[in-house]
Amino acid sequence: MSENTFCAARRRILANRITVRGFNGGTATNKGENQSAMIREILEYPDPRLRTIAKPVDEVTDDIRTLIDDMFETMYDANGIGLAATQIDVHKQVIVMDLSEDKSEPRVFINPKVEVLDGDLEAMQEGCLSVPGFYEDVKRIEHCRITAKDRNGEEFVLEAEGLLAVCIQHEMDHLNGKLFVDYLSQLKRSRIRKKLEKLHKQSA
Amino acid sequence: MALPLRAVAARVLLAVENGQSLNQCLPPALNQLPPEQRPQLQALCYGTCRWFHRLDGELGSRLKKPLRKPDRVIHHLMLVALFQLRFSEQASYAVLNETVEACKALDKPHLTGLVNGVLRKAEREGAPEPADDSAQFSHPVWMVEKLRHNWPEDWQAILEANNQQAPMTLRVNAKRFSRDEYLALLNQAGIEAHATRFAPHGIQLEQPVPVDRLPWFADGAVSVQDEAAQLCTTLLDLQPGQRVLDACAAPGGKTCAILESEPALAEVVAIDESAERLPRIEENLERLDLHATLRQADAADTGHWWDGKAFDRILLDVPCSATGVIRRHPDIKLLRRESDIAPLAGIQLGLLEAMWDILAPGGRLVYATCSVFGQENHRIIQRFVKQNEQVKLVTLDTDWGIDTGAGRQLLPDPDSHDGFFYAVLEKPEP
Repeated sequence: MSENTFCAARRRILANRITVRGFNGGTATNKGENQSAMIREILEYPDPRLRTIAKPVDEVTDDIRTLIDDMFETMYDANGIGLAATQIDVHKQVIVMDLSEDKSEPRVFINPKVEVLDGDLEAMQEGCLSVPGFYEDVKRIEHCRITAKDRNGEEFVLEAEGLLAVCIQHEMDHLNGKLFVDYLSQLKRSRIRKKLEKLHKQSA
Repeated sequence: MALPLRAVAARVLLAVENGQSLNQCLPPALNQLPPEQRPQLQALCYGTCRWFHRLDGELGSRLKKPLRKPDRVIHHLMLVALFQLRFSEQASYAVLNETVEACKALDKPHLTGLVNGVLRKAEREGAPEPADDSAQFSHPVWMVEKLRHNWPEDWQAILEANNQQAPMTLRVNAKRFSRDEYLALLNQAGIEAHATRFAPHGIQLEQPVPVDRLPWFADGAVSVQDEAAQLCTTLLDLQPGQRVLDACAAPGGKTCAILESEPALAEVVAIDESAERLPRIEENLERLDLHATLRQADAADTGHWWDGKAFDRILLDVPCSATGVIRRHPDIKLLRRESDIAPLAGIQLGLLEAMWDILAPGGRLVYATCSVFGQENHRIIQRFVKQNEQVKLVTLDTDWGIDTGAGRQLLPDPDSHDGFFYAVLEKPEP
């Protein structure tokens, strides 16, 4: 194929702007980058394991940090903006998130709690790595305060609006065994379930 | 949580504007989608790149002032919507609604009013007259000017060909099937196709199909390769017992073509500098049941990789602007800069000099690019011939391409091959 015209000589000289065609840049996990981070399998609806309620993390150990690195790797690989541990079949209260355009703002929430600051509900189109390919409007509280621990076990408090508020509520639902499809009508939900079941059968 | 499709498309385009190729940034986004939705995202990203300069001209004229840098992704979101309004069959109310939704999902609720207003007006007023050739042909200004200067007769045809979808062309593995046999197999499979005009083993499909629909593809019956690229084997004039080098080989299409066309070669060495791309060569060789010596190295750095044994044939398919294959990679319009061409020419001449030194006396070197700029093509050859008296420039008496005086130039043809350049150089026996 004629796209093979990019030897690295040019990569060296023309640095980042021109890139090697077909060269996959990989998915570095930024902060806390860990060479050994693994991409884990993401459970897909209607897998019953997604209904498991996650347990709080007693202590933020190296094992938890490894889990966090794997979760970032998995989320970036799937082009997601948020991932709960439940989705990779680990039932601990751990969430990773990066809403940025360039993987530059990784966030970690361990044992998160949410407090409603403003009762208004706002609708936003949501998608989910466990319900691939479906996007539906979900109404959520638009303004909230989050208390959680970071990857070093330090507690922090964050006020959230917009996408951040929506995303944290979406991920915390996962920790409680809940999915965004649960907010939809019975009809829509069963249509999504059937389509995904069919896909799973085809790929099995 | 995952972003909706067109929000993902907007982010992909932002990444392209920031210098990533679609080959780099699209696959992770596609992987997340179920198979039946992938073509949709692909079409949005490729189509918006293809028409970027046209659409960007229109959007620029509709915005009172550019969006702030942190909101740049919404500029791309609007381009995607404009692409659909102008070039797709999508119902415009659906495009508008989904775009406003995606604007919220990208965490820019303060811009939904602007997005809605701009797109409604665009829908009502229809497409404006393109302001200049850059908007008309949807190419960056510098490319339009350079092509006009290089090809005073053909520049418009080249620009128009670049905006067409490229055909899907196959190379039949001569070790397995004759071209006629494979055409018959395609016919049986209900796939319309015809023999290529210039490449002896080429077949062009009327419509692209997924490779797994091609008879015996997994068993190595055919490979996907443009007709222009296939011409390299004829020019190499391969003979049994020769030692052949493919100097910038990834993803290995031409390496395989070489091995198929002359099974009795002594050795084929394929090198490429990119460790990430070397496995692609291996995959291709494996599928076709072929063998080559693979090395990860910068070809020009012969001190590092060369074993001291000269090559009878060298294929030097140099890194280039890829301006002959824009129809396959429309992101090139956004990625390439005018200032890239001079350093590329430096790399090309350097590679040619280094490869000449390891070519055996009596040997032949084929210089190739997928560029349509003289600066990377015949002017490199002229410079090289001028500084090396020994070089014999072989006159190519072919029925394809345009004679430049120092190699033959193929221009992209909407009905067949990509834009390509070939020159053949020989080293006399002492």
